[in-house]
Amino acid sequence: MLFRVNDLHVSYGNIRAVRGVSFEVDEGEIVTLIGANGAGKSTILNTIAGLLRPDAGEIVYNGVDLVPLDAHQVVQLGLALVPEGRRIFGNLTVYENLRLAGFQLGADELNKRIRRAFERFPRLEERRAQLGDTLSGGEQQMLAVARALVTGGKFMLLDEPSMGLAPILVQDIFEMLREINAQGTTVLLVEQNAHMALKIAARAYVLETGEIKLSGASTDLVRNPEVQKAYLGG
Amino acid sequence: MDATFIQQFFNALQLGSLYALIALGYTMVYGVLLLINFAHGDIFMFGAFMGVLGSWVFGWGFVPTLILSMLATALLGVTVERVAYKPLRAASRLSAVITALAVGLLLENGMLALTGADPRKYPDDFFATQVYQIGSVSISTVKLLVIILAFALFVALFLFVRRTKWGMAMRAISYDKFAVPLMGVSQDRIISLTFAIGTGLGAAAGILWGVAYPASLDTYMGMLVGWKAFIAAVVGGIGDIRGAVIGGMILGFVEIFVPYWGQGIGVSSTWRDPVAFALLLIILVIRPTGIFGVARRQKV
Repeated sequence: MLFRVNDLHVSYGNIRAVRGVSFEVDEGEIVTLIGANGAGKSTILNTIAGLLRPDAGEIVYNGVDLVPLDAHQVVQLGLALVPEGRRIFGNLTVYENLRLAGFQLGADELNKRIRRAFERFPRLEERRAQLGDTLSGGEQQMLAVARALVTGGKFMLLDEPSMGLAPILVQDIFEMLREINAQGTTVLLVEQNAHMALKIAARAYVLETGEIKLSGASTDLVRNPEVQKAYLGG
Repeated sequence: MDATFIQQFFNALQLGSLYALIALGYTMVYGVLLLINFAHGDIFMFGAFMGVLGSWVFGWGFVPTLILSMLATALLGVTVERVAYKPLRAASRLSAVITALAVGLLLENGMLALTGADPRKYPDDFFATQVYQIGSVSISTVKLLVIILAFALFVALFLFVRRTKWGMAMRAISYDKFAVPLMGVSQDRIISLTFAIGTGLGAAAGILWGVAYPASLDTYMGMLVGWKAFIAAVVGGIGDIRGAVIGGMILGFVEIFVPYWGQGIGVSSTWRDPVAFALLLIILVIRPTGIFGVARRQKV
Protein backbone atom coordinates (compact mmCIF):
# COMPACT_ATOMS: atom_id res chain seq x y z
CA MET A 1 0.00 0.00 0.00
CA LEU A 2 1.45 3.37 -1.04
CA PHE A 3 -0.54 5.52 1.31
CA ARG A 4 -2.65 4.88 4.37
CA VAL A 5 -4.57 7.08 6.81
CA ASN A 6 -5.62 5.33 9.98
CA ASP A 7 -8.13 6.61 12.56
CA LEU A 8 -7.34 10.25 11.93
CA HIS A 9 -8.73 12.88 14.30
CA VAL A 10 -8.30 16.60 13.65
CA SER A 11 -9.91 19.53 15.41
CA TYR A 12 -9.94 23.31 15.35
CA GLY A 13 -10.14 24.30 18.99
CA ASN A 14 -13.30 22.66 20.25
CA ILE A 15 -14.61 21.75 16.86
CA ARG A 16 -13.86 18.19 15.86
CA ALA A 17 -13.61 18.44 12.10
CA VAL A 18 -12.33 14.94 11.39
CA ARG A 19 -13.39 12.01 13.58
CA GLY A 20 -11.64 8.73 13.06
CA VAL A 21 -11.17 8.67 9.33
CA SER A 22 -9.31 5.77 7.70
CA PHE A 23 -8.62 5.20 4.03
CA GLU A 24 -6.01 3.91 1.62
CA VAL A 25 -4.56 4.79 -1.75
CA ASP A 26 -2.66 2.27 -3.83
CA GLU A 27 0.14 3.16 -6.18
CA GLY A 28 -1.15 4.40 -9.53
CA GLU A 29 -4.74 4.86 -8.38
CA ILE A 30 -7.05 7.81 -8.55
CA VAL A 31 -9.03 7.88 -5.31
CA THR A 32 -11.56 10.52 -4.42
CA LEU A 33 -13.03 11.81 -1.19
CA ILE A 34 -16.41 13.34 -1.83
CA GLY A 35 -18.68 15.13 0.54
CA ALA A 36 -20.53 18.35 1.20
CA ASN A 37 -19.04 21.62 2.27
CA GLY A 38 -17.75 21.28 5.82
CA ALA A 39 -17.50 17.50 5.76
CA GLY A 40 -13.79 17.74 6.60
CA LYS A 41 -12.30 17.07 3.17
CA SER A 42 -9.89 20.00 3.09
CA THR A 43 -8.94 19.42 6.70
CA ILE A 44 -7.86 15.90 5.83
CA LEU A 45 -5.75 17.03 2.88
CA ASN A 46 -4.15 19.88 4.82
CA THR A 47 -3.31 17.49 7.63
CA ILE A 48 -1.71 15.02 5.23
CA ALA A 49 0.33 17.85 3.70
CA GLY A 50 1.63 18.82 7.14
CA LEU A 51 -0.16 22.16 7.38
CA LEU A 52 -2.26 20.96 10.32
CA ARG A 53 -1.37 18.64 13.18
CA PRO A 54 -3.81 15.82 13.94
CA ASP A 55 -4.98 15.07 17.47
CA ALA A 56 -4.51 11.39 16.83
CA GLY A 57 -4.09 8.88 14.06
CA GLU A 58 -1.54 7.67 11.56
CA ILE A 59 -0.62 8.97 8.13
CA VAL A 60 1.82 6.66 6.38
CA TYR A 61 3.30 7.22 2.95
CA ASN A 62 5.75 4.67 1.54
CA GLY A 63 6.31 3.38 5.05
CA VAL A 64 7.14 6.83 6.44
CA ASP A 65 5.00 8.37 9.19
CA LEU A 66 4.05 11.86 8.05
CA VAL A 67 2.46 13.05 11.28
CA PRO A 68 5.59 14.55 12.89
CA LEU A 69 6.78 16.20 9.67
CA ASP A 70 6.38 19.85 8.69
CA ALA A 71 4.84 20.71 5.35
CA HIS A 72 8.15 21.49 3.67
CA GLN A 73 9.50 18.10 4.78
CA VAL A 74 6.47 16.19 3.52
CA VAL A 75 7.12 17.68 0.08
CA GLN A 76 10.58 16.10 0.03
CA LEU A 77 9.00 12.65 -0.02
CA GLY A 78 7.23 13.33 -3.32
CA LEU A 79 3.80 14.40 -2.07
CA ALA A 80 2.41 17.62 -3.45
CA LEU A 81 -0.83 19.35 -2.50
CA VAL A 82 -2.73 21.53 -4.95
CA PRO A 83 -4.58 23.60 -2.37
CA GLU A 84 -8.15 24.78 -2.45
CA GLY A 85 -8.47 28.04 -4.31
CA ARG A 86 -5.24 27.27 -6.21
CA ARG A 87 -3.16 29.67 -4.11
CA ILE A 88 -0.71 30.53 -6.85
CA PHE A 89 1.60 33.45 -6.15
CA GLY A 90 0.05 36.34 -8.01
CA ASN A 91 3.06 38.61 -7.57
CA LEU A 92 5.39 36.06 -9.16
CA THR A 93 5.58 35.22 -12.84
CA VAL A 94 4.47 31.85 -14.16
CA TYR A 95 8.11 30.81 -14.44
CA GLU A 96 8.91 32.03 -10.94
CA ASN A 97 5.96 30.10 -9.53
CA LEU A 98 7.41 26.92 -11.05
CA ARG A 99 10.95 27.85 -10.04
CA LEU A 100 9.82 28.26 -6.44
CA ALA A 101 7.92 24.98 -6.58
CA GLY A 102 11.26 23.29 -7.25
CA PHE A 103 12.95 25.02 -4.32
CA GLN A 104 14.62 21.85 -3.10
CA LEU A 105 15.75 20.58 -6.50
CA GLY A 106 19.14 20.86 -8.11
CA ALA A 107 19.43 22.92 -11.30
CA ASP A 108 19.33 19.94 -13.69
CA GLU A 109 16.33 18.25 -12.14
CA LEU A 110 14.54 21.58 -11.80
CA ASN A 111 15.00 22.49 -15.45
CA LYS A 112 13.94 19.04 -16.54
CA ARG A 113 10.73 19.21 -14.53
CA ILE A 114 9.90 22.75 -15.63
CA ARG A 115 10.46 21.72 -19.24
CA ARG A 116 8.12 18.77 -18.75
CA ALA A 117 5.52 21.00 -17.12
CA PHE A 118 5.69 23.40 -20.07
CA GLU A 119 5.36 20.50 -22.51
CA ARG A 120 2.23 19.42 -20.72
CA PHE A 121 0.85 22.97 -20.50
CA PRO A 122 2.03 24.88 -23.58
CA ARG A 123 -0.29 27.72 -22.59
CA LEU A 124 1.79 28.28 -19.48
CA GLU A 125 4.96 28.49 -21.51
CA GLU A 126 3.38 31.18 -23.65
CA ARG A 127 2.63 33.06 -20.46
CA ARG A 128 5.86 32.30 -18.63
CA ALA A 129 6.78 35.94 -18.00
CA GLN A 130 3.26 36.96 -16.98
CA LEU A 131 2.35 37.55 -13.34
CA GLY A 132 0.14 34.90 -11.75
CA ASP A 133 -2.53 37.50 -10.98
CA THR A 134 -3.04 38.16 -14.68
CA LEU A 135 -3.92 34.55 -15.55
CA SER A 136 -7.47 33.37 -16.07
CA GLY A 137 -9.00 30.95 -13.57
CA GLY A 138 -8.35 27.96 -15.81
CA GLU A 139 -4.75 28.97 -16.40
CA GLN A 140 -4.25 29.46 -12.68
CA GLN A 141 -5.50 25.94 -12.07
CA MET A 142 -3.10 24.65 -14.70
CA LEU A 143 -0.29 26.51 -12.99
CA ALA A 144 -1.30 25.09 -9.62
CA VAL A 145 -1.15 21.56 -11.03
CA ALA A 146 2.09 22.27 -12.93
CA ARG A 147 3.58 23.55 -9.70
CA ALA A 148 2.68 20.33 -7.91
CA LEU A 149 4.23 18.34 -10.75
CA VAL A 150 7.49 20.25 -10.32
CA THR A 151 7.45 19.94 -6.54
CA GLY A 152 6.67 16.30 -6.06
CA GLY A 153 5.02 14.53 -8.86
CA LYS A 154 4.73 11.04 -7.36
CA PHE A 155 1.62 11.52 -5.27
CA MET A 156 -0.65 14.48 -5.95
CA LEU A 157 -3.37 15.65 -3.61
CA LEU A 158 -5.92 18.00 -5.13
CA ASP A 159 -8.38 20.08 -3.17
CA GLU A 160 -11.43 21.07 -5.22
CA PRO A 161 -9.65 21.67 -8.52
CA SER A 162 -12.98 22.34 -10.22
CA MET A 163 -13.97 25.15 -7.86
CA GLY A 164 -14.93 28.36 -9.60
CA LEU A 165 -14.24 27.08 -13.11
CA ALA A 166 -16.57 27.04 -16.08
CA PRO A 167 -17.95 23.55 -16.89
CA ILE A 168 -15.87 23.26 -20.06
CA LEU A 169 -12.70 23.99 -18.07
CA VAL A 170 -13.71 21.49 -15.43
CA GLN A 171 -13.77 18.86 -18.18
CA ASP A 172 -10.27 19.89 -19.24
CA ILE A 173 -8.93 19.76 -15.69
CA PHE A 174 -10.27 16.25 -15.12
CA GLU A 175 -8.97 15.10 -18.47
CA MET A 176 -5.57 16.43 -17.53
CA LEU A 177 -5.68 14.61 -14.19
CA ARG A 178 -6.41 11.39 -16.00
CA GLU A 179 -3.38 11.94 -18.24
CA ILE A 180 -1.11 12.79 -15.35
CA ASN A 181 -2.27 9.66 -13.60
CA ALA A 182 -1.68 7.58 -16.70
CA GLN A 183 1.92 8.75 -16.64
CA GLY A 184 2.45 7.35 -13.17
CA THR A 185 1.28 9.95 -10.65
CA THR A 186 -0.99 8.64 -7.94
CA VAL A 187 -3.91 11.00 -7.29
CA LEU A 188 -6.01 11.71 -4.23
CA LEU A 189 -8.82 14.01 -5.24
CA VAL A 190 -11.16 15.91 -2.97
CA GLU A 191 -14.26 17.22 -4.67
CA GLN A 192 -17.71 18.64 -4.18
CA ASN A 193 -18.33 17.92 -7.83
CA ALA A 194 -19.03 14.25 -7.08
CA HIS A 195 -20.28 13.60 -10.58
CA MET A 196 -16.95 14.37 -12.23
CA ALA A 197 -14.87 12.92 -9.43
CA LEU A 198 -16.63 9.55 -9.56
CA LYS A 199 -16.10 9.48 -13.30
CA ILE A 200 -12.31 9.52 -13.15
CA ALA A 201 -11.65 7.84 -9.80
CA ALA A 202 -11.49 4.08 -9.46
CA ARG A 203 -12.50 4.19 -5.81
CA ALA A 204 -14.24 6.72 -3.63
CA TYR A 205 -14.91 7.51 0.00
CA VAL A 206 -17.97 9.48 1.02
CA LEU A 207 -17.35 11.83 3.91
CA GLU A 208 -20.05 13.28 6.15
CA THR A 209 -19.42 15.53 9.14
CA GLY A 210 -15.91 14.24 9.65
CA GLU A 211 -16.64 10.56 9.24
CA ILE A 212 -16.54 8.14 6.33
CA LYS A 213 -20.08 6.96 5.60
CA LEU A 214 -19.55 4.90 2.50
CA SER A 215 -16.73 3.60 0.39
CA GLY A 216 -16.21 1.42 -2.60
CA ALA A 217 -15.68 1.32 -6.33
CA SER A 218 -16.88 4.47 -8.07
CA THR A 219 -19.04 2.45 -10.41
CA ASP A 220 -20.92 1.01 -7.42
CA LEU A 221 -21.24 4.32 -5.60
CA VAL A 222 -22.67 6.03 -8.68
CA ARG A 223 -25.56 3.55 -8.55
CA ASN A 224 -26.03 3.81 -4.80
CA PRO A 225 -29.37 5.54 -4.13
CA GLU A 226 -28.04 7.39 -1.08
CA VAL A 227 -25.13 8.82 -3.04
CA GLN A 228 -27.37 9.72 -5.93
CA LYS A 229 -29.75 11.54 -3.66
CA ALA A 230 -27.16 13.41 -1.64
CA TYR A 231 -24.41 14.16 -4.15
CA LEU A 232 -25.50 13.56 -7.68
CA GLY A 233 -28.74 15.50 -7.70
CA GLY A 234 -30.66 12.34 -8.49
CA MET B 1 23.06 75.54 -11.01
CA ASP B 2 25.18 77.02 -8.30
CA ALA B 3 27.72 75.16 -6.25
CA THR B 4 25.78 75.16 -2.98
CA PHE B 5 22.84 73.58 -4.68
CA ILE B 6 24.99 70.76 -6.00
CA GLN B 7 26.58 70.32 -2.61
CA GLN B 8 23.16 70.19 -0.95
CA PHE B 9 22.14 67.66 -3.55
CA PHE B 10 24.94 65.37 -2.44
CA ASN B 11 24.09 65.97 1.22
CA ALA B 12 20.53 64.94 0.48
CA LEU B 13 21.67 61.88 -1.45
CA GLN B 14 23.84 60.86 1.50
CA LEU B 15 21.10 61.33 4.10
CA GLY B 16 18.51 59.73 1.82
CA SER B 17 20.75 56.69 1.26
CA LEU B 18 21.08 56.19 4.99
CA TYR B 19 17.33 56.49 5.61
CA ALA B 20 16.74 54.11 2.73
CA LEU B 21 19.13 51.49 4.11
CA ILE B 22 17.30 51.55 7.43
CA ALA B 23 13.86 51.70 5.82
CA LEU B 24 14.67 48.47 3.94
CA GLY B 25 14.89 46.65 7.27
CA TYR B 26 11.39 47.77 8.25
CA THR B 27 9.91 47.00 4.89
CA MET B 28 11.48 43.55 4.45
CA VAL B 29 10.35 42.34 7.85
CA TYR B 30 6.89 43.76 7.26
CA GLY B 31 6.81 41.99 3.90
CA VAL B 32 7.24 38.52 5.39
CA LEU B 33 5.64 38.88 8.83
CA LEU B 34 3.29 41.90 8.61
CA LEU B 35 5.16 43.04 11.72
CA ILE B 36 6.44 46.56 12.24
CA ASN B 37 9.75 45.80 13.90
CA PHE B 38 9.91 48.83 16.16
CA ALA B 39 13.24 47.62 17.51
CA HIS B 40 14.84 48.26 14.13
CA GLY B 41 16.03 51.79 15.00
CA ASP B 42 17.90 50.28 17.92
CA ILE B 43 19.27 47.54 15.69
CA PHE B 44 20.74 50.40 13.64
CA MET B 45 22.26 51.80 16.84
CA PHE B 46 23.63 48.36 17.69
CA GLY B 47 25.31 48.23 14.28
CA ALA B 48 26.92 51.61 14.87
CA PHE B 49 28.17 50.44 18.27
CA MET B 50 29.60 47.26 16.79
CA GLY B 51 31.64 49.76 14.80
CA VAL B 52 32.91 51.21 18.05
CA LEU B 53 33.88 47.70 19.10
CA GLY B 54 35.66 46.97 15.81
CA SER B 55 37.45 50.27 15.49
CA TRP B 56 38.41 51.15 19.07
CA VAL B 57 38.58 47.80 20.83
CA PHE B 58 39.94 45.63 18.03
CA GLY B 59 41.70 48.47 16.23
CA TRP B 60 40.30 47.35 12.88
CA GLY B 61 39.91 49.46 9.77
CA PHE B 62 36.70 50.35 7.97
CA VAL B 63 36.10 47.25 5.85
CA PRO B 64 36.64 44.54 8.51
CA THR B 65 34.68 46.61 11.01
CA LEU B 66 31.78 46.99 8.56
CA ILE B 67 31.73 43.23 7.96
CA LEU B 68 31.95 42.47 11.67
CA SER B 69 29.11 44.85 12.41
CA MET B 70 26.85 43.52 9.67
CA LEU B 71 27.41 39.90 10.70
CA ALA B 72 27.03 40.52 14.45
CA THR B 73 23.91 42.60 13.92
CA ALA B 74 22.41 40.04 11.56
CA LEU B 75 22.97 37.44 14.25
CA LEU B 76 21.24 39.71 16.75
CA GLY B 77 18.34 40.23 14.35
CA VAL B 78 17.86 36.50 13.80
CA THR B 79 18.08 35.85 17.54
CA VAL B 80 15.54 38.56 18.35
CA GLU B 81 13.13 37.05 15.83
CA ARG B 82 13.58 33.53 17.20
CA VAL B 83 13.33 34.47 20.85
CA ALA B 84 10.89 37.37 20.88
CA TYR B 85 8.74 37.32 17.74
CA LYS B 86 8.43 33.71 16.67
CA PRO B 87 6.49 32.60 19.76
CA LEU B 88 4.00 35.38 18.96
CA ARG B 89 3.40 34.53 15.32
CA ALA B 90 -0.06 33.21 16.02
CA ALA B 91 -0.81 35.89 18.63
CA SER B 92 -2.45 39.21 17.89
CA ARG B 93 -0.52 41.78 15.91
CA LEU B 94 -0.62 44.09 18.91
CA SER B 95 1.31 41.66 21.13
CA ALA B 96 4.10 41.45 18.59
CA VAL B 97 4.32 45.23 18.19
CA ILE B 98 4.50 45.77 21.95
CA THR B 99 7.19 43.11 22.15
CA ALA B 100 9.14 44.90 19.42
CA LEU B 101 8.97 48.15 21.38
CA ALA B 102 10.23 46.30 24.46
CA VAL B 103 13.10 44.75 22.52
CA GLY B 104 14.04 48.25 21.40
CA LEU B 105 14.08 49.54 24.98
CA LEU B 106 16.14 46.55 26.04
CA LEU B 107 18.73 47.23 23.34
CA GLU B 108 18.92 50.96 24.09
CA ASN B 109 19.26 50.60 27.81
CA GLY B 110 21.36 47.48 27.65
CA MET B 111 23.85 49.30 25.46
CA LEU B 112 23.68 52.33 27.76
CA ALA B 113 24.50 50.16 30.76
CA LEU B 114 27.37 48.52 28.90
CA THR B 115 28.99 51.55 27.34
CA GLY B 116 27.92 54.57 29.39
CA ALA B 117 26.20 57.76 28.39
CA ASP B 118 29.05 59.64 26.69
CA PRO B 119 28.54 60.07 22.97
CA ARG B 120 31.14 58.28 20.90
CA LYS B 121 32.82 58.68 17.58
CA TYR B 122 35.00 56.50 15.42
CA PRO B 123 38.79 57.03 15.41
CA ASP B 124 39.95 59.89 13.18
CA ASP B 125 41.83 57.52 10.91
CA PHE B 126 38.89 55.07 10.71
CA PHE B 127 37.99 56.31 7.29
CA ALA B 128 40.60 58.74 5.98
CA THR B 129 38.59 61.41 4.29
CA GLN B 130 39.66 63.53 1.40
CA VAL B 131 37.88 66.40 -0.23
CA TYR B 132 37.71 66.63 -4.00
CA GLN B 133 37.32 70.01 -5.57
CA ILE B 134 35.45 69.99 -8.87
CA GLY B 135 35.10 73.56 -9.98
CA SER B 136 33.57 75.31 -7.02
CA VAL B 137 31.91 72.13 -5.74
CA SER B 138 33.69 70.18 -3.04
CA ILE B 139 32.76 66.59 -2.31
CA SER B 140 34.27 64.48 0.42
CA THR B 141 35.19 60.85 -0.03
CA VAL B 142 32.95 60.06 2.93
CA LYS B 143 29.93 61.31 1.03
CA LEU B 144 30.92 59.30 -2.02
CA LEU B 145 31.52 56.24 0.16
CA VAL B 146 28.08 56.46 1.74
CA ILE B 147 26.28 57.02 -1.54
CA ILE B 148 28.19 54.41 -3.55
CA LEU B 149 28.13 51.72 -0.87
CA ALA B 150 24.43 52.28 -0.24
CA PHE B 151 23.63 52.02 -3.93
CA ALA B 152 25.76 48.91 -4.27
CA LEU B 153 23.77 47.36 -1.44
CA PHE B 154 20.46 48.39 -3.03
CA VAL B 155 21.45 46.79 -6.32
CA ALA B 156 22.68 43.63 -4.62
CA LEU B 157 19.42 43.39 -2.68
CA PHE B 158 17.26 43.97 -5.74
CA LEU B 159 19.11 41.26 -7.65
CA PHE B 160 18.86 38.92 -4.72
CA VAL B 161 15.13 39.41 -4.34
CA ARG B 162 14.44 39.32 -8.09
CA ARG B 163 16.73 36.55 -9.25
CA THR B 164 17.35 34.00 -6.52
CA LYS B 165 15.00 31.36 -5.24
CA TRP B 166 15.33 32.77 -1.73
CA GLY B 167 14.23 36.14 -3.02
CA MET B 168 11.30 34.49 -4.77
CA ALA B 169 10.38 32.76 -1.53
CA MET B 170 10.42 36.11 0.30
CA ARG B 171 8.11 37.63 -2.28
CA ALA B 172 5.90 34.55 -2.16
CA ILE B 173 5.57 34.73 1.63
CA SER B 174 4.53 38.36 1.41
CA TYR B 175 1.80 37.36 -1.04
CA ASP B 176 0.49 34.20 0.57
CA LYS B 177 2.11 32.58 3.58
CA PHE B 178 -0.14 29.54 3.44
CA ALA B 179 1.11 28.03 0.20
CA VAL B 180 4.84 28.59 0.75
CA PRO B 181 5.57 25.41 2.76
CA LEU B 182 3.77 23.41 0.06
CA MET B 183 6.59 24.40 -2.30
CA GLY B 184 9.07 22.68 0.00
CA VAL B 185 10.24 25.97 1.48
CA SER B 186 10.84 26.24 5.20
CA GLN B 187 9.07 29.40 6.22
CA ASP B 188 11.20 29.77 9.34
CA ARG B 189 14.35 29.78 7.29
CA ILE B 190 13.09 32.45 4.93
CA ILE B 191 11.98 34.59 7.85
CA SER B 192 15.40 34.23 9.51
CA LEU B 193 17.10 35.12 6.25
CA THR B 194 14.91 38.19 5.90
CA PHE B 195 15.78 39.34 9.40
CA ALA B 196 19.48 38.70 8.76
CA ILE B 197 19.49 40.81 5.60
CA GLY B 198 17.29 43.59 6.99
CA THR B 199 19.28 43.97 10.18
CA GLY B 200 22.59 43.59 8.33
CA LEU B 201 21.63 46.56 6.12
CA GLY B 202 20.64 48.47 9.25
CA ALA B 203 24.11 47.80 10.66
CA ALA B 204 25.74 49.08 7.47
CA ALA B 205 23.65 52.23 7.85
CA GLY B 206 24.83 52.52 11.47
CA ILE B 207 28.50 52.39 10.53
CA LEU B 208 28.04 54.81 7.64
CA TRP B 209 26.05 57.15 9.86
CA GLY B 210 28.95 57.23 12.32
CA VAL B 211 31.37 57.99 9.51
CA ALA B 212 29.15 60.64 7.91
CA TYR B 213 28.03 62.39 11.10
CA PRO B 214 30.89 62.02 13.60
CA ALA B 215 30.25 62.34 17.31
CA SER B 216 26.61 61.39 16.82
CA LEU B 217 26.88 57.91 18.30
CA ASP B 218 24.85 57.52 21.44
CA THR B 219 22.66 54.71 22.60
CA TYR B 220 19.45 56.62 21.78
CA MET B 221 20.53 57.53 18.27
CA GLY B 222 18.20 54.92 16.82
CA MET B 223 15.02 56.44 18.19
CA LEU B 224 14.50 59.48 15.98
CA VAL B 225 16.39 58.09 13.00
CA GLY B 226 14.46 54.84 13.29
CA TRP B 227 11.11 56.61 13.36
CA LYS B 228 12.04 58.67 10.36
CA ALA B 229 13.17 55.64 8.39
CA PHE B 230 9.96 53.85 9.36
CA ILE B 231 7.97 56.77 8.02
CA ALA B 232 10.07 56.68 4.86
CA ALA B 233 9.18 53.01 4.44
CA VAL B 234 5.48 53.76 4.91
CA VAL B 235 5.58 56.63 2.43
CA GLY B 236 7.29 54.41 -0.13
CA GLY B 237 4.74 51.67 0.47
CA ILE B 238 5.67 49.34 3.29
CA GLY B 239 6.49 45.84 2.13
CA ASP B 240 7.99 47.08 -1.14
CA ILE B 241 11.77 47.41 -1.32
CA ARG B 242 11.73 49.98 -4.11
CA GLY B 243 9.37 51.97 -1.94
CA ALA B 244 11.82 51.94 0.96
CA VAL B 245 14.57 53.34 -1.23
CA ILE B 246 12.36 56.00 -2.80
CA GLY B 247 10.79 56.91 0.55
CA GLY B 248 14.21 57.23 2.17
CA MET B 249 15.40 59.46 -0.64
CA ILE B 250 12.32 61.67 -0.47
CA LEU B 251 12.84 62.14 3.24
CA GLY B 252 16.54 62.88 2.78
CA PHE B 253 15.86 65.47 0.10
CA VAL B 254 13.06 67.15 2.04
CA GLU B 255 15.17 67.38 5.17
CA ILE B 256 18.07 68.98 3.33
CA PHE B 257 16.19 71.21 0.93
CA VAL B 258 13.53 72.61 3.26
CA PRO B 259 16.09 74.54 5.32
CA TYR B 260 18.13 75.33 2.21
CA TRP B 261 15.25 76.94 0.35
CA GLY B 262 13.57 78.14 3.52
CA GLN B 263 16.63 80.23 4.29
CA GLY B 264 16.00 82.26 1.15
CA ILE B 265 12.45 83.16 2.18
CA GLY B 266 13.23 83.71 5.84
CA VAL B 267 11.93 80.41 7.22
CA SER B 268 13.96 79.12 10.12
CA SER B 269 15.62 75.73 9.76
CA THR B 270 13.73 74.55 12.84
CA TRP B 271 10.81 74.13 10.44
CA ARG B 272 12.66 71.30 8.79
CA ASP B 273 10.92 68.44 10.56
CA PRO B 274 7.39 69.90 10.59
CA VAL B 275 7.59 70.65 6.89
CA ALA B 276 9.13 67.28 6.11
CA PHE B 277 6.44 65.39 7.96
CA ALA B 278 3.61 67.54 6.62
CA LEU B 279 4.78 66.69 3.13
CA LEU B 280 4.90 63.00 3.95
CA LEU B 281 1.40 63.22 5.40
CA ILE B 282 0.18 64.80 2.19
CA ILE B 283 1.69 61.94 0.19
CA LEU B 284 -0.12 59.48 2.42
CA VAL B 285 -3.41 61.35 2.09
CA ILE B 286 -3.12 61.09 -1.68
CA ARG B 287 -1.83 57.52 -1.64
CA PRO B 288 -2.71 55.83 1.65
CA THR B 289 -0.81 52.67 0.73
CA GLY B 290 2.37 54.62 -0.03
CA ILE B 291 3.97 55.22 -3.38
CA PHE B 292 4.55 51.60 -4.38
CA GLY B 293 2.11 49.97 -1.99
CA VAL B 294 -0.90 48.03 -3.08
CA ALA B 295 -3.90 47.47 -0.89
CA ARG B 296 -3.61 44.04 0.63
CA ARG B 297 -6.35 41.67 -0.30
CA GLN B 298 -8.04 40.30 2.76
CA LYS B 299 -7.63 36.55 2.59
CA VAL B 300 -10.45 34.40 3.83
